Amino acid sequence: MKKQMLVIPALIAVILAISACGGTPAAQPTQPPAQPTQPAAPAEGKLAQIRAAGKLIVGTSADYPPYESIDANGNFVGFDMDLIRAIGEKLGVEVEIRDMPFDSLIASLQEGKIDAVIAAMQATAERDEKVDFTIPYRMTKDAFIGAGNTTIIMTKPEDAAGLTIGVQTGTVQEGWIQKNLVAKGLTPADKVFSYERADQAALDLASGRLQLVLMDAEPALELAKQNGLKVLLVTETTAEGGKSIAIPEGASDLKAELDRIIQGLIDDGTVKALEEKHGLP
Amino acid sequence: MQGFIDLLNKVMPDLLQGTVVTLQIAVVSLALGMIIGLPVGVGRVYGPAWLQRLLGAYITLFQGTPLLIQLFMVYYGLPDIGITLGRLQAAFLTLGLNSAAYQAEYLRSALQSVSEGQMVAARAIGMSKWQAIWSIILPQAVRLALPAWSNEAVAMLKYTSVVFLIAVPDLMGQAKILASRYFAPIQIYLIVAVFYIVLVGVTYLILTTIERRVRIPGLTGDAA
Repeated sequence: MKKQMLVIPALIAVILAISACGGTPAAQPTQPPAQPTQPAAPAEGKLAQIRAAGKLIVGTSADYPPYESIDANGNFVGFDMDLIRAIGEKLGVEVEIRDMPFDSLIASLQEGKIDAVIAAMQATAERDEKVDFTIPYRMTKDAFIGAGNTTIIMTKPEDAAGLTIGVQTGTVQEGWIQKNLVAKGLTPADKVFSYERADQAALDLASGRLQLVLMDAEPALELAKQNGLKVLLVTETTAEGGKSIAIPEGASDLKAELDRIIQGLIDDGTVKALEEKHGLP
Repeated sequence: MQGFIDLLNKVMPDLLQGTVVTLQIAVVSLALGMIIGLPVGVGRVYGPAWLQRLLGAYITLFQGTPLLIQLFMVYYGLPDIGITLGRLQAAFLTLGLNSAAYQAEYLRSALQSVSEGQMVAARAIGMSKWQAIWSIILPQAVRLALPAWSNEAVAMLKYTSVVFLIAVPDLMGQAKILASRYFAPIQIYLIVAVFYIVLVGVTYLILTTIERRVRIPGLTGDAA
């Protein structure tokens, strides 16, 4: 008995000591950035190179409809494919698409085998260290969904105030709800439920335990279609980031030109028309 | 170390809230398990043959399937047949029914270890079968079952950690939310492990004290 009572404080001490070591990552020297495996092709003047060749070689991973896939005739189809062809047209060059595994796209770009990557890719900090990204051509969107027979009407995300809502643990959406509804006192903390998976939260809409679920728009639309749920609002406000085209590190002339073309395609409604063509929210 | 203390200060209020939920679920489920488990255990030993088989099937079902599946069936499955329970009710019911199966088995082995001669003797002085069970056999069996039952209480505290899967904000649920909020999963799970150890330690001390208090010299041996 006596011995066991000593064990507990001893264990606590050990655990505190261990976690204290893990708690100061800032003190560790940061690792130097990894050297590229081979000297990259001169990135400056990349735009001139492409124009001279008359061809933009683009890598994608054609396994992600409706963004990119291969149809029955072996053609590359999808939102990204139509978009990059429109960009090629503005650039005045032919677009050659090469299919490869998603995880080798960045490496191929670094090695100079391709000029750009369009693969529904998000410009994460980790990727941004290795390559450059254009401005997003499509912002990430979230959707609020409700039960099929819900009478809730939403025109903006703040309309969710006070309602019972489900989100996935650790997601951007959970963060938005906590910061904009719970912290401001608009929704009581005990009306927000964090689920292991977003589809489990969606199950609870049908049983009436939740009034709303906030999640990524694309799976939300699919879930709503399969389970007879109602999409109440599709919004960019609650989401973060977007999909960008990756280009070689330091290719500033190419980036400037692509950014200008992408902005133009967004402004003239081409992007919106392509989203509608491919059923994207 | 300073960083760790800052983190501790930030997560403490949420973890304490989670602890209250965890304790609530453990206490209610154990009590529900006792209320159901006691008659089930007695029925398993003294009931008619058909009842023994039926209760045996119930125990096999709950001991033989993962707790997680039981929880999902109760929470997500029952609404399909028109029974929609709240999160907490679903947690109480699942853990209570699960615990009852184990508690019934502890009681059954304790009942069977009370010598049969006592039943014969009780009947000989004119007690009915149920009077003999209630007044003679059960008071001894409950004491004999207590050490095993203590293990069940300790196990229950840890079993409760599955309920975050139906979005109950228990200690484990809070830990998962905080781990992703502060990007410090290892530190936060270690803190939570300490919480569980303390809860289990305190429970263990309370139950050992009870065991010693209700001990009958000669029946249950030296509990200390």
